[in-house]
Amino acid sequence: MKPVLVTTVSYENCDKPEHLQSIEIIVSNTSTANMTARSNHLLPTGLRAVIVASAFWLLSLSLTVVSGSVAALLGCGLACYLAASRRTTDALSAIRTPVLLGAVVLLSLLGLLLASSMANSSLTANVLSPITAFNSAEFIKWLALATGTTFVLRTLAQRTGYGAIVEILFVASAFVITLAAHRNGMIHRPFLLGDYAITRGIDPATILMAFGCAAVLALSSLLMIENNHRRLPYHFAVLGVLCLSLLGYIQLFGLPTPQLTNDLGLTGQAQDGRSNARENPFQDGENSAEDREAPVAVVVFRDDYEPINGAYYFRESAYSQFNGTMLDFSSHRSMDQDLLENFTNTRSETAQPPGALDQRRSVRTTVGMLVPHRSPFGLATPVAYENKPNPNNLRFKRTYDVESLAPEYDYEYMIGRETGRADWSEEVRQEYLQLPDDPRYGELAQQLIANLRPEFADDPFAKAWAIKTYLDENGIYSLKNEHAYADDPAGSFLFGDLTGYCMHFSFAATYLFRSIGIPARVGIGYSVPAVNRGGGSSLLVQAVHGHAWPEIYFRDVGWVIVDPAPQQTLVDMTTDPQNDLQQLLGDMLRDEAAFEEFLQSQRTSFLNLTIILNSLYALIGLTLLVAYLVKSYRLWAPGHSSPAQQYRVAYRAALDRLAGIGIRRKVGESREHFARRVAAKSPALLPLTQAHLDYALGHHSERLDAQQWRQLQSQVAKDIQQNFSPWKRCLAVINPFTWLLTR
Amino acid sequence: MTTESLIDEAVAADDATDAVTAIDVNSKEKLGESVAVLNTLMNTVQQQVLGRNEVIELAIIALVADGHVLLEDYPGSGKTTLAKALGEAIVADEDSNADSHILPFRRIQFTPDLLPSDVTGVPVFDSSSNAFYFRHGPLFAHIVLADEINRTSPKVQSAMLEAMGEKQVTVDNVTYPLDDLFFVIATQNPLDLVGTYPLPTPQLDRFLFKISMDHIDREAELDVLNTYNSRRHLAGELATVTRSQVLAARQIIDQEVTISPAIKTALVDISRNLRTDDHVLQGNSTRSMVLMLPALQVSAALRGRDYVSADDIELLLPRVLGHRIELAPGVTDIHKVLKENMREPMEMLARSTLS
Repeated sequence: MKPVLVTTVSYENCDKPEHLQSIEIIVSNTSTANMTARSNHLLPTGLRAVIVASAFWLLSLSLTVVSGSVAALLGCGLACYLAASRRTTDALSAIRTPVLLGAVVLLSLLGLLLASSMANSSLTANVLSPITAFNSAEFIKWLALATGTTFVLRTLAQRTGYGAIVEILFVASAFVITLAAHRNGMIHRPFLLGDYAITRGIDPATILMAFGCAAVLALSSLLMIENNHRRLPYHFAVLGVLCLSLLGYIQLFGLPTPQLTNDLGLTGQAQDGRSNARENPFQDGENSAEDREAPVAVVVFRDDYEPINGAYYFRESAYSQFNGTMLDFSSHRSMDQDLLENFTNTRSETAQPPGALDQRRSVRTTVGMLVPHRSPFGLATPVAYENKPNPNNLRFKRTYDVESLAPEYDYEYMIGRETGRADWSEEVRQEYLQLPDDPRYGELAQQLIANLRPEFADDPFAKAWAIKTYLDENGIYSLKNEHAYADDPAGSFLFGDLTGYCMHFSFAATYLFRSIGIPARVGIGYSVPAVNRGGGSSLLVQAVHGHAWPEIYFRDVGWVIVDPAPQQTLVDMTTDPQNDLQQLLGDMLRDEAAFEEFLQSQRTSFLNLTIILNSLYALIGLTLLVAYLVKSYRLWAPGHSSPAQQYRVAYRAALDRLAGIGIRRKVGESREHFARRVAAKSPALLPLTQAHLDYALGHHSERLDAQQWRQLQSQVAKDIQQNFSPWKRCLAVINPFTWLLTR
Repeated sequence: MTTESLIDEAVAADDATDAVTAIDVNSKEKLGESVAVLNTLMNTVQQQVLGRNEVIELAIIALVADGHVLLEDYPGSGKTTLAKALGEAIVADEDSNADSHILPFRRIQFTPDLLPSDVTGVPVFDSSSNAFYFRHGPLFAHIVLADEINRTSPKVQSAMLEAMGEKQVTVDNVTYPLDDLFFVIATQNPLDLVGTYPLPTPQLDRFLFKISMDHIDREAELDVLNTYNSRRHLAGELATVTRSQVLAARQIIDQEVTISPAIKTALVDISRNLRTDDHVLQGNSTRSMVLMLPALQVSAALRGRDYVSADDIELLLPRVLGHRIELAPGVTDIHKVLKENMREPMEMLARSTLS
């Protein structure tokens, strides 16, 4: 308070107007308060600087080159220092906040201008090299940006009540923006972290969770700095416990699952066999395309297989029974017996394997589901399912092997074939021919097959192909449609604008097939373009691949997918190939020695942890061994050394024994004082110390013989035996470093 | 080599060992006798001065170590009784041809108007012999109690201190030696400083110990009251020691009690630490260390040792250095400063015994 008084006094004597005086006093008052606060709060200020700087650095990482990031870090530090140093704040204290902020923003803009002119002018590029010019331009740009922003934030925080909140929001958004790429199951993103983790064989999730914890800690410490920093350690401890419990939660219950791709009824809780109720598979309005890249599952191919029609079809289930309004999961016992509907803990095989085995290839695949599904899906046509141990509980909801008999025939193979299965009852066959009571289906179908060449006029496949061609040529693929709430969405689509998505196409085609007596159903599952596999053995199934398609049963062949492919499309359903993620998940699922080896090799190239650890273990072992040797030598020596050395060796052994149970001389304490101090616990130490000092400080003449020395020494051991609990003595025996405690 | 010669050699070796042992035993006996003399002295004094065993011990250590003590105390704490008892416990040798001017005990009450000659003695003209003869002052005694030494002028103080340092008195260019046993117990009141001439540090350096006396404990104080009468008549009945016995003890202890090099190293290291310590304005002199050595030896002997150990240093160092060290302004706790500076050298001393 002294400076304030001085100011008051000095201004009382001069001719300033009164209001000015009071302003001066207030200014000096706050600055003194700040001064004391600052000197006391050096640690919080530094901590805040570190947090803001790291937030800025994080933000800059994805947006600029290394020089830019370094500049961001430096700029933040500089601004924090400026904002905290008394010289600047005192100098600037007279300037009003808006003016000051405006000036800072202006300066930053000047910096940005300079940077852009540097990067754009050919002069700098010629004088320096283009790369240097760019780098230095980035440096200046980010320096200006970081310094300006941080200074504005700090000034606001210092001068206004709400400033701290802005600062915290800034730090939080830096974390959020950086980590946002990770959402929707893109576990390998942001690449910055993902690559770092994967090349070192760490699950990126761990690093990200650590990041999250760091963010929480940083934010909360920022918050607490603003208030009472004295309780900081306590709060930190509580927060740490919270974060750790979050980790524990994830270890126990797994990562939260994105609720995705339920449009087709593919995902959800595993089917329990009783409830077949489902929601309307036709979606209204605009289907959300936001999450479409989210990975749903990964499939690892154990056998070589390449589909002939350019897409892998994974069948999960089928809509086959007409329930009066639309097709639904069949409730009829003898329908769809080829499907594997339930997850089982053992191997289960299909009841009706397909035919044409000579035209099929047996393919073994392993599926890792990232999202829970109603039923297992497998490469068409799956014949056996077998549950597999989950290599990564954190990542995979369920893993299983599927054996498939994948088709290798082309469509000509169907020409001339009958439809329907031979052992179907008439009832079942009729179920597969049910369709809405709408004559237009039959009429349109007849119209479409009317133009077939006479030799194919009766051929079911040719008829089906004509219908598919019609849909290919006239249908318009779009996620926006207005058929969802029509009584018969498929009819609304087919006889309306022919604009819809796979559900509409597949239902329409199925009804058309059925109307001309071809047993058909809608298969649902995933259809993944063959190019996505990219030559690897793993295939990523994403939400966007969810698909529905019409299928026809050809006698002795099985369910054959006849999938309309509309030539006009209003929506871009292509996605960027996710090769990294595909490979990462595939490797995770494969969980083979090769992958471990790969990780191992990555580790070796980075830092050979094993060797370091092993040598560390060896070192520790050696240290322990040496320590035990020394320990036992020192206890053994009194019995075997010369009488002249006894005074030293015997006394040392006694001290070692005492040090083992935690009794040791304090630094600077004399030996006799120590002996008197522990006399209650070990009376024998007193005469031993006496004898020891007699010899060491005295005439070196008053020798006890070796026997006496040993007796005194062992008396100490006996004292210990009597006066100390067994566990303490046990610890003394185990501890290899007792001799280091001896003084 | 024949068996005989072997035996001869063995016998010779035995003899040698015996000789060493004999010397050992001899010196041990002598040391034991000296310690017995000191214990007798201590007992005698202790029976007259109750509850002051530590001060008595320190006084005897100083006496035997040829030093002087400064007692800081308040009136009526028994310092005169102590000095008197000590003086009376040491009797002159019967057969001595010693100076008859030397008395067992003298007390000087210092006042501002005291003159040096009042202390040392003065030449007086004897009209019968027509010559000056020296009238011995009160310094010519075994034990001198210099009461309230800070109340007299620096002139008298320096005369006194010369006598203490040199064991001689010079009057009119004639030097008169003081007794070998000359021992001063000076006192000063630490509180009542009005009208005093405080002793400067260099003069305090002449005193081996400065002892602050606290009030004696309750039991001892009760004892003092209870035995007040009986102790008055004790004087003649108590055991005494002779002056020559004390002087012999001084010599024997000096010869027989070993000071290990480690002890000396520790002392020097402590001094050096103190001199470089920021809390200390002026460290102790080398002389203080030299003076301290005999005191350490006596302390060791009194504890039945024939070597100086860390215990002796811990006992005596605060008393020896307490008045020799000038602390920096603002530092008050001399014991803390000493403790800090002693820790490391004492640790080295303790470690030296095991290496």
